[in-house]
Amino acid sequence: MARLINWIDARFPLTKFVKHELTDYPTPRNLSYWWNFGFLAGFVLMLQIISGIFLAMHYKADVTLAFDSIEHIMREVNYGWLIRYLHSTGASAFFAVIYIHMARTLYYGSYRAPRELMWWTGQGLLLMLMATAFMGYLLPWGQMSYWGAQVITSLFGATPFIGDEVVIWLRGDFTVGDATLTRFFVLHYLFPFLIVGAVIIHLVALHYVKSSNPSGINLADKDNIPFHPYFTVKDLYGLGLFLIVFCYFVFFQPEFFIEATNNIPANFLQTPEHIVPEWYFLPFYAILRSIPDLLGGVVGMFLSVIIFAAMPYLDRSSIPGGAHYRPWYRIMFYVFIVDILVLGYVGAQASSDLLIVVGRVATFIYFLTFCLLPYVSRKEEQWLRKRGLPAEIEELLQQESLQQQKKDNV
Amino acid sequence: MNRNTFLIMLHSCLLVMVFSVPEKSAAAEVIFDRSSDSLKRGAVTFVNLCMLCHEMKYLRYQNLLEVGFSHNEVDALRKDKNIQDPLQSSTAPEVAKLLFGMRPPELSLMAKARKNGPSYIYNLLTSYYETADGVIQNQVFPGISMPDVLSYSIETDPLVRERLEQKAREVAVFMEWAADPNANQRRNMGYYVMAYLFILTFLLYLMKRKVWRRLK
Repeated sequence: MARLINWIDARFPLTKFVKHELTDYPTPRNLSYWWNFGFLAGFVLMLQIISGIFLAMHYKADVTLAFDSIEHIMREVNYGWLIRYLHSTGASAFFAVIYIHMARTLYYGSYRAPRELMWWTGQGLLLMLMATAFMGYLLPWGQMSYWGAQVITSLFGATPFIGDEVVIWLRGDFTVGDATLTRFFVLHYLFPFLIVGAVIIHLVALHYVKSSNPSGINLADKDNIPFHPYFTVKDLYGLGLFLIVFCYFVFFQPEFFIEATNNIPANFLQTPEHIVPEWYFLPFYAILRSIPDLLGGVVGMFLSVIIFAAMPYLDRSSIPGGAHYRPWYRIMFYVFIVDILVLGYVGAQASSDLLIVVGRVATFIYFLTFCLLPYVSRKEEQWLRKRGLPAEIEELLQQESLQQQKKDNV
Repeated sequence: MNRNTFLIMLHSCLLVMVFSVPEKSAAAEVIFDRSSDSLKRGAVTFVNLCMLCHEMKYLRYQNLLEVGFSHNEVDALRKDKNIQDPLQSSTAPEVAKLLFGMRPPELSLMAKARKNGPSYIYNLLTSYYETADGVIQNQVFPGISMPDVLSYSIETDPLVRERLEQKAREVAVFMEWAADPNANQRRNMGYYVMAYLFILTFLLYLMKRKVWRRLK
């Protein structure tokens, strides 16, 4: 065995790689369980790819066969129901995990220098994930699949001057049809591999700048521990907890995330009473509907997703420790989370006079949070420094400058 | 609250969640008898009555064996049809369209295509009533094309009405099975999976604790 490894090591940096990325990879020992979600996202990505490949072996991307082929998978393929429910529940799990991962980053300010590129590659991953999920949702060719795709592709009609052409270009036809289904299937199969590529970039950046941690500063060497075995075992334990929740839905509530209407085959003559996207798009959908102008709504919706990328510049505070030591930022964080939940609720309901108002207020608060952040974060820091920073923060700042000096001396 | 207490609470919450939440969060007002006998009676009603007009194209006669029928019983139900044939209606779709103005919907997935499907089906079948002008109407689905096949609206004898309601419930139970024939297998497998995961996760927790203890 040792000889084999030596043989490989002479030709490929296997041992070096394992040492550098796992057994010697320094990881802050104070990471909380909120730092488990990146690993979980990677796990769900693999789950989706593997279950997806097996589904693709039986799925037919043809409008006359798509719905039937799903039922074929559900009823006649051995354990087809299991593969499909893993995949459909996996989509929801993916977003749940990613949203928590993002919320952690926002709470602890992990997007700050030098981790801006981590945040931006993550942002790119989110966009690709959304596109993949949206295209995947068309494939069962149910009523909600069809009308959801119809509505969302038609939004591109708001593009100035060439709107109609863009919509036709996206659909490959004048309406969502066979051409749309086939291309969505092809892209739904392709995108996950692009996501894998982007994940690798995300991880390369991570292993260069190392993990952030709840203290918000770069820890001294003594406070870092090797990734393996400490975090491999911690991630596995977290995976166990995750799988308990996940498998509960797969085996006992598999239709929980599937809109009942999507069990009716797509019918272009009959619009469902109430078209709703999947839960993970609801807040953004609510923003789209809250802005009275179509173009404005579309811009607002896209902006609401990509505005996160500006966080490293919007947050002007240098107080470490994330929201923990920043009372104003913490309030903003929780208001923002509640605001997203309100938007999600509004997005799921048929519109009513009251809900339109609620949706507009929530949309306003959503963007206001980002707009106020530069001002609030600066004022907050001034205020904190004026009244004297708590001893813990002073200590953290001191440690950080010590680290910096050490680095400079080297 | 220390971390261990929290973790124990989390584990027990998950455990309770798994074993306490009913499969279908039905609006709870309708209580279904999901026994094999009830399911079989529902299947017989479906084949003999509903299938005069409706079809279940994703089900074949041989699938009825999974409901618990014997081969002879299935033979009696399928009559001259092949055992591999799908559950087709005895009225040609074109004829049905002439009679009712539309093609009667395919029913394999109906129990999943409505919120609280089985309750919806039961309520629909037992919501027929006679208006003052002697017209048969339906409260759940006003203007429905489907006639009152159970003759529920004109039945006055409470005992017979009771029997018809039971029949409607049985049909709903059969349709629920037809929409998801693997549900039982899925749930049974689910108990093993959950038990396995609880043990595995607990062991991983112990392992995590053991490994991290080295740091102290």
